[in-house]
Amino acid sequence: MNVPGLNLPVIKLLIAKDWLLFQKQLAAYVTAGIFALCLLGMAKPWSFYLGSLMLIVVLVAAACFSISTSLLAERKEHTLAFVMSLPVTPLDFYLAKLLGNLVTFLVPFLVMLGGTIAVIAFTPLPNGLIVFATLVFGYVLLAYAVSLSVAMAVESEGWNTFAMIGSMVLINPFIMLLGQIHAISGYTNTEHVVWSAPAVSILLAQVVLSVAVLVATGWAHCRKPAFY
Amino acid sequence: MTAAFAVTGLTKRYENFALQDISLSMPEGQVMGLVGVNGAGKTTLLRLLSGLSRADAGTIEVLGHAMPAQQVAVKQELGFASEDMRLYKTQTLRWHMDFIRSIYPGWDEAYAAELLRRFDLCAEQALAGFSHGQRVKALLLLNFARRPRLLLLDEPTTGLDPVARDEVLQALADILRDDARSVLFSSHNTQDIEQLADTISFVHGGRLLESRDKESFLDDWRRVVCQGSWPANESRWPEIAATRQNGSLLELKVRRFSDALLSRLKGQGLEIRSTEAMSLEDIFVTTVRAGGAA
Amino acid sequence: MRSTGLAPPLYNPISTVHTVHIKYAQQVPVDAELLLSASDSKPMYQQIVDQITAKVLAGDWKAGQALPSIRELASASRVSVITVKRAYAELGLAGIIVTRHGMGSFVAESPDLAAGLLRAEFHQHFDAMLACAARLGISRDAIRQLLDDEPSDPETISSGGSTP
Repeated sequence: MNVPGLNLPVIKLLIAKDWLLFQKQLAAYVTAGIFALCLLGMAKPWSFYLGSLMLIVVLVAAACFSISTSLLAERKEHTLAFVMSLPVTPLDFYLAKLLGNLVTFLVPFLVMLGGTIAVIAFTPLPNGLIVFATLVFGYVLLAYAVSLSVAMAVESEGWNTFAMIGSMVLINPFIMLLGQIHAISGYTNTEHVVWSAPAVSILLAQVVLSVAVLVATGWAHCRKPAFY
Repeated sequence: MTAAFAVTGLTKRYENFALQDISLSMPEGQVMGLVGVNGAGKTTLLRLLSGLSRADAGTIEVLGHAMPAQQVAVKQELGFASEDMRLYKTQTLRWHMDFIRSIYPGWDEAYAAELLRRFDLCAEQALAGFSHGQRVKALLLLNFARRPRLLLLDEPTTGLDPVARDEVLQALADILRDDARSVLFSSHNTQDIEQLADTISFVHGGRLLESRDKESFLDDWRRVVCQGSWPANESRWPEIAATRQNGSLLELKVRRFSDALLSRLKGQGLEIRSTEAMSLEDIFVTTVRAGGAA
Repeated sequence: MRSTGLAPPLYNPISTVHTVHIKYAQQVPVDAELLLSASDSKPMYQQIVDQITAKVLAGDWKAGQALPSIRELASASRVSVITVKRAYAELGLAGIIVTRHGMGSFVAESPDLAAGLLRAEFHQHFDAMLACAARLGISRDAIRQLLDDEPSDPETISSGGSTP
């Protein structure tokens, strides 16, 4: 596949590099996430609370650090010049960053999502929770997309932290909001997995917005002419 | 024969500094040394040539390609190392070498191994454990081992201990054998430039003061010690860059030496005691102190 | 043989002898690494000219032998190409080497080369000595007296300039 103007082999190598550099953290997040899932699976009120809290923290941390490790660290650690001296254009670079970041985040994200759904389905936890949990994951995905675009646009550690903490703080009101929507909260304690209209539309909105934000970010960086 | 690089009317503006209207070129197979104080614009120029920065005005052509439009093609054959570049701390030098090798087909593993030995570097060590000098050498190794057609080096020997500096100069000297490879480097160790450069380019305050072949440039400058007193009408002596009087002894730093000048000085009643060549460092400092007029 | 227009290089014969390695008959590769010093007050190109002249005189590099290419010498001795080019040009002007277009440079074939150079050296030292004596006010008679006071003549070496 030959996309004119893009140096695909090097982009792949850059993504592989970012993936490699993130390995240790990835292992930590997945381990912590699995532990959280175990707590969830025990299906006791206290373990459920603890487990879900831990799960959310793990997801947010994975999102936050995947962004800061691959994007901001390059500038701070001055490895940016090294990468830039490779045969890449600014477009290649930002594309590699975007894709690399998506990979390093989505892997733990999807593992956790799958694990959560599996834990809910195969344990005494009411299956209705699946809808609820998916919507929470959807929220984290959207928060991640927004943080990523903020980080790529502004490239400042301060703004990135603000964006992450802000979205983390907003998760509580979001969960409460979900609780208010009868069509969702009514089924969380049941065994029925009910994808009601509000649930579907919220999920759809989250996914579409996330993709839109990411595409817009990529597009905006097409135009960036140089690195310094 | 393509020029190694050619820039015309190059301008780049930053908040507190501007590189202005630089026109400079170098044929292939040569070594050019960039001399200038900190902040004179050497790093900016190197960044513009390597595609890391984009110019505000002017044209840049490197190895026959327009920059930054064809930067990928250029960077395939370009080596760049600067003082503020860092490698990935958590990875080993071997990882970096493999990484570079997977990108550049010109990587010479045998030569890389030889450089490892000469530079006394441990490939299996993580970069975090490297000293400053080892880090600089590692970065240079990654560049040298793929034999790029043009090497842009920003202060390659600055901050190195004498042994490391010697090793780097030796590796630079190896490049001289190849008449298709060129080097542009900036250095505060003016002796390195004095020794290895074919051309010296003098940058000051964002402008190119002078760019000339080294031999004629160094030939023009002399330190003349005479006996007598200096008439104060300096405007009639544009060839004289600096004067120092101590009692009846007078030291003149001359930027355009000629026998005719000696005669004129004698005509002023000065008795010439000695004339000698000046080191590039001396020339550099004298020029800057004289107000940057070459 | 006097070199045209250029002052013959001044060097101290004694120290040069100690730094030059005598290589005997066998075919040895021409040593491209000259022993140059950055701290020497002489300009680099002059050091190259002097050392190559010394090597020719000492017999390291024989008449007609090919010199290292300019780039090879530059790289091995760690000096810029332009400096070596200048040195070779001066050596060519002095008649010590001959450059054939497209083939490189060779030590000149002149049999009198060594003797001629040494003679030029001698004359320059001699003239300098006379000038210095004049500044000091030493008369010709005094100079003759100094010569007479010298210990007996060292064994005169026949022209060829080889080291004992």
